[in-house]
Amino acid sequence: MRIVLLVLISLFFFSKSYTNELNLFTSRHYPSDLILFEKFEEKTGIKVNLINAKSKVLEKRLLDEGSKSKGDILFLADAGALYSAEKKKLFTKYIENGPLKLIPTSLKNEYWLGITKRARIIFYNPNLVDYDEIKNFSYENLSNSKWRKSIAIRQSNNIYNQSLVASIIEHKGENFTKKWLNNFVKNFSRKPQGNDRAQILSVAAGESKLAIANTYYYALMLSGKKGEEQKKAAQKVKPIFPNQNGRGTHINISGAGILKFSPNKKNAQKFIEFLLTKDAQTLLCNSSFEFPIIKNVPTNKLINDIKNFKEDIVINVSSYGKRQAQAFKLMKKAGWN
Amino acid sequence: MKINLNQKVTDNSIFFLSLFIIILILSPIFTIFLENINQKSDYLSFFSSGEFQSYTKNSIIILIPVLFFTLFLGGLSSYLVSFYEFTGVNFFKYSLLLSFAIPPYIYAYTLSAFFENFGIAYSLTSFFSEDLSRKFIPKIEPLTGSIISLSLTLFGYVFILTRSTFLNQSRDLIEIGKSLGFNNFDIFFKIIIPTARPAIFIGLSLVAMETLSDFGTVSFFGISTFTTGIYNSWFIFDDLKTANFLSLFLVFFVLFFFGLENLSRKNIKFFNSNNSFNKKNKKTLLRGYKSFLASFFCFFLFSISFLFPLILMLKWSLVNSSFLDLDQILHLNYNSVKLIFLSSIFIISISLIVTFSGRVLKSRALSFFSNLSISGYAIPGIVVSVSIISLFSLIDSFFNVEIRGYFIGSIFGLIFGYTVRFYSISFNTIKTVYLKINKSIDESALLLGFNKFSILKNVHYPLLKKNLIFAFILISIEVIKELPITLILRPFNFDTFSTSAFNLASNDLVEVAAIPSLFIVLWSSLFIFLSIKFFLIDKK
Repeated sequence: MRIVLLVLISLFFFSKSYTNELNLFTSRHYPSDLILFEKFEEKTGIKVNLINAKSKVLEKRLLDEGSKSKGDILFLADAGALYSAEKKKLFTKYIENGPLKLIPTSLKNEYWLGITKRARIIFYNPNLVDYDEIKNFSYENLSNSKWRKSIAIRQSNNIYNQSLVASIIEHKGENFTKKWLNNFVKNFSRKPQGNDRAQILSVAAGESKLAIANTYYYALMLSGKKGEEQKKAAQKVKPIFPNQNGRGTHINISGAGILKFSPNKKNAQKFIEFLLTKDAQTLLCNSSFEFPIIKNVPTNKLINDIKNFKEDIVINVSSYGKRQAQAFKLMKKAGWN
Repeated sequence: MKINLNQKVTDNSIFFLSLFIIILILSPIFTIFLENINQKSDYLSFFSSGEFQSYTKNSIIILIPVLFFTLFLGGLSSYLVSFYEFTGVNFFKYSLLLSFAIPPYIYAYTLSAFFENFGIAYSLTSFFSEDLSRKFIPKIEPLTGSIISLSLTLFGYVFILTRSTFLNQSRDLIEIGKSLGFNNFDIFFKIIIPTARPAIFIGLSLVAMETLSDFGTVSFFGISTFTTGIYNSWFIFDDLKTANFLSLFLVFFVLFFFGLENLSRKNIKFFNSNNSFNKKNKKTLLRGYKSFLASFFCFFLFSISFLFPLILMLKWSLVNSSFLDLDQILHLNYNSVKLIFLSSIFIISISLIVTFSGRVLKSRALSFFSNLSISGYAIPGIVVSVSIISLFSLIDSFFNVEIRGYFIGSIFGLIFGYTVRFYSISFNTIKTVYLKINKSIDESALLLGFNKFSILKNVHYPLLKKNLIFAFILISIEVIKELPITLILRPFNFDTFSTSAFNLASNDLVEVAAIPSLFIVLWSSLFIFLSIKFFLIDKK
């Protein structure tokens, strides 16, 4: 019995402690990110401690911990999530030096900055749609009655969809977006369901003519990580980057900011600078198939094949956050489940 | 005189200790109430937007078919294995319990990966004809998918509960029925169903609670139910207050079911009390096609509820074995085992204290509150964890102390969360035994000069020991599957099988998530196997 007790007590207190560390709160969870953190530790001697959960859960924890929080950096997918944390005054300003200056102004603000980026684009089935029909495609065209019952997209509670609709509100106003949504919803080929990959598969199977999905899902399928069948399926569809003749394609980021009560602010700044080095960018993107935020970073072929297009840099990505709730209400009202 | 005074002091200390434990367990639920009183959010706009109605509607649309299917699948299989002799019956009566090892959300992952466009069903059949397989593979709609996943992972509740009544009561009555000239049809509807009704009811109310508090499955399929509503109002509208309000509503909803369950549990006691004679197993032997049909039904159920997800997970684990290294897997095992031991020992100890004091003190207030404290089981994990975070913020600001750091993001916080959720399991398991121990034993021991603690140690403990181990097994199954509390309250760099499966699956790497999921299933199966071996074997 005593031995059991001893074991239990030692279970409680057995933990390594580091003096030089960095506590990272993140909603990302790629196994390869861990390799990156090890490299950072090798280089700087700073140990990265990790907690990952959904963005609002991290937000809630940081808010409640207040000035006692040990968190140094908050790293989230989607600009809307970063904006929400900023609005709650969780961040402190970072120092804009070195590689931080290289990030385009539309992909950062004074509190947080993009680390990687992704585009939400259209995929079409070349057996069902001619390239000529679609080569000058724009998001606005999605509501055209020509596409009645032929577009696959996931549900309205998905944050990427909310950001896309938010960007349309920002560019075109609420009234336009309302009308656009009402017609767009009629074009759904099926009840919205599944993840982004499921939309691409629906087009590959010929159920839908067009699908809306983030670029990295397509690259993930082509990589063969999801199996041979999915690779073959992805080869049956083609990507189209909308609004190339206008404002450019909708871009979103994964980004990070330094937390206001961070006990290791210097380490946090170092970490962000590290994430923006070419090596780190390559590593981040090659595993997640996102695009690097810095120009001229070498990436693998799957990313290279789709990375040259005109991006929407007219509006700052933080506007997605401002309009996400508004977007969601409009989407629900239009009958987008 | 002196002895009496000492007695009084001990009594008081047991009483206050139990009260403290109960308050501790109920505190997150109080917090939900407090947060609702304290706030000024505008519900009206929320209700008028029709969101609330659609949450309720979807929850009910899922709940009703799930109740129907679990009743049908669990009831019929339990009836067959309890009353009939057919090929494989001895295998099925235990193996059907293995469906408990599959968490509904993991079932949902495998189901959708199997049937999706270019999914596994397609790979298996496209060899013959791509077009035909595309045409004939059914499309799993989100609602259907949720209903199937929940039904096939929860029917075990109906199965296990009806089985124990089938084994214990009906046989004698059936003999009487037969002697009165009832045919099989009459026996089934006039004797078996009515006597099993309380058990069916308890089983179904457990299914209902699990279904209503389910988050993983419905959020994977993207359906707006109460739990996803809580999530949406928090995540999209940034409105934790509405989320809290919805939680409260859910708590009431679930407490209602709990109340019903408690009522029917009382009935069961009545049935159990006159069950002491003739337990000889006189099963009807099925022959020919009837035997085949019975075996086929049970085998089919076993296959789709357990073998199907297990085989898919094995396949994916083998293909993706390079993703997780041995070191990581060992570490995940270590973390999970650590949590299991710490939390079960804590939960069992405190529930032992409360049940013991309930027995020796005979306080009505204590028994009322301790009955209320088991409602934690019904509250979704995500609500429990959020209310724990709020609770410690409240305590810190109210008493001007800094204790939340010890609970949020620490093992202590996790154990507290598990205690709120799983306390009822060990409480009920221990209480069942206490109800069977005759109180005159306590009195005799007192006369012999034992004090209350030595009664616990020398008299009760030997009688309770077996069920304490059973409680340990049941808690372990729950802890290893638990997701939301672990995800939200865990310390830095701390992963369990469930958080690791969740993270991989949210990265759209369901196939890799199969490795941690497989371990969840293996550990739970081991625990189920142990409980069958030591506790559920019925006398032949």
